[in-house]
Amino acid sequence: MSTGVGIWRCRTCGTGYFPERLLCSRCHTHDFMPDRVAEGVVEEVTVIRHVLGQTDWAPRRLASVRTVNGPRITVGLRDESGPGTLIELFEEGNAPFGAAKPAP
Amino acid sequence: MFMNAAIIGVGQSVYVRRPQPGQSTHTFIRDAVVAALQDAQIDASEIQGMAVTSFSLAPDTAVDLAWRLGLSLRWLLQDTNGGSSAMNMLGHALRGVETGAASPILVVAGDATGLGGYAKIAANYNVATREHLAPLGHGGPNGVYSLVTTRQMNKYRLKKSDYGHMAIAQRAWAAKNPFAVYREPLTMEEYLAAPMVADPLTRYDCVPVVAGAQAIVIAHPDRCPRGRAPVRVRAIRNSFNYDNQEGDGLQTGISTFAEELWQAAGARPADIDVASIYDDYPAMVLAQLNDLGMIPDHDLASYARREIGERRVPINTWGGMMSAGQPGGPAGGLNGISEAVLQLQQRAGERQVKGARRAVTTGYGMTLYRYGGTAAAAILERME
Repeated sequence: MSTGVGIWRCRTCGTGYFPERLLCSRCHTHDFMPDRVAEGVVEEVTVIRHVLGQTDWAPRRLASVRTVNGPRITVGLRDESGPGTLIELFEEGNAPFGAAKPAP
Repeated sequence: MFMNAAIIGVGQSVYVRRPQPGQSTHTFIRDAVVAALQDAQIDASEIQGMAVTSFSLAPDTAVDLAWRLGLSLRWLLQDTNGGSSAMNMLGHALRGVETGAASPILVVAGDATGLGGYAKIAANYNVATREHLAPLGHGGPNGVYSLVTTRQMNKYRLKKSDYGHMAIAQRAWAAKNPFAVYREPLTMEEYLAAPMVADPLTRYDCVPVVAGAQAIVIAHPDRCPRGRAPVRVRAIRNSFNYDNQEGDGLQTGISTFAEELWQAAGARPADIDVASIYDDYPAMVLAQLNDLGMIPDHDLASYARREIGERRVPINTWGGMMSAGQPGGPAGGLNGISEAVLQLQQRAGERQVKGARRAVTTGYGMTLYRYGGTAAAAILERME
């Protein structure tokens, strides 16, 4: 597990992307630098309760998250965070996950 | 407008929830082709072109299918745009006939993935899905459109029952379609009590995967069988990757061309007698109708309750994919076109919409990451 989620940021116009693009959709240059987004706000949540072809399935929580200074991404939620919650982001492999930010 | 090209015949295979031994994508497509050729009263040896789409034809491609069907062609196309493939192929085939490249042209779509096969396709739909969504356990498109549906409910103040009106109305149409896999009446109580699949989507919100195939024949209107009106396409438009996945998914690519489509067709939403709207999820039907300008004041909730709930508008009169079944994404778009043709030719039997003269058909699909990236729409008209 690594802290934050890796995104790709256009060096020319600063737009952040996830997943990776070949050209920036704003300025159409191809010079990207790796960046990381550490936090985001949960916008919508779903629970995947049934999946075709799976007989032994444990429900998973997914959320659409507006990252801070980055794109909207879909993450796996590791807790009961709901819409409006500020969450910390982390990666497992290439997949983004999140959980509520602990109180200071 | 296409003056020298029209849809003159339609055909389909049976639809089944699970393909049986001996049934495959190829055999379903064959059955649809045979039915369409018979319907158009055209001999297979006359066919000069073919367009095909399928998620499960591989490793075969379009030319393999031509070979297996014994068709020697001078025009061939394989489309890969999922739910809008049928609309894409329709446009290409019309232009092919209109310009003299080939005629008649067969447009074919079919799938027989089985449920397990569909799950594999859903998890490997594209690189973004395979690497960033499937590892989350996103459950295929259900997971993606559950989030879109919640967004739509919040923005337009829709209730769960508003989507139920659509499922119930389409099931009532399906009762009159012998090819539909689900024909039993559906009540609001049953709809609301259905098991949750991906909140807020329940069983009746998720399109059932079936095996089956559709085919239509495009040719000069003069080739239409005697006593039957050919169906002309007044206008057709497509959109691909309309917003780079940077919006909320509540608008589709149709929003980029709707005004131009109506203008090119010389028609208005009020002129439409029957609509085939790509219905992989109820939320996307409302989104496409809204983009087409068919929902007054963008009031989706009132439209769902009144126009759909009270059956004031004939939408998806074959039962839609939600009741008739979705043979992969690709063929799902072609059954809406086929139904519009049957309605405009006054051949829809028990489900005939009286006096239907103009129809709108759409396609929507290819979930790139957060929602679909392709869309298309056409205005069809019975030639007098």
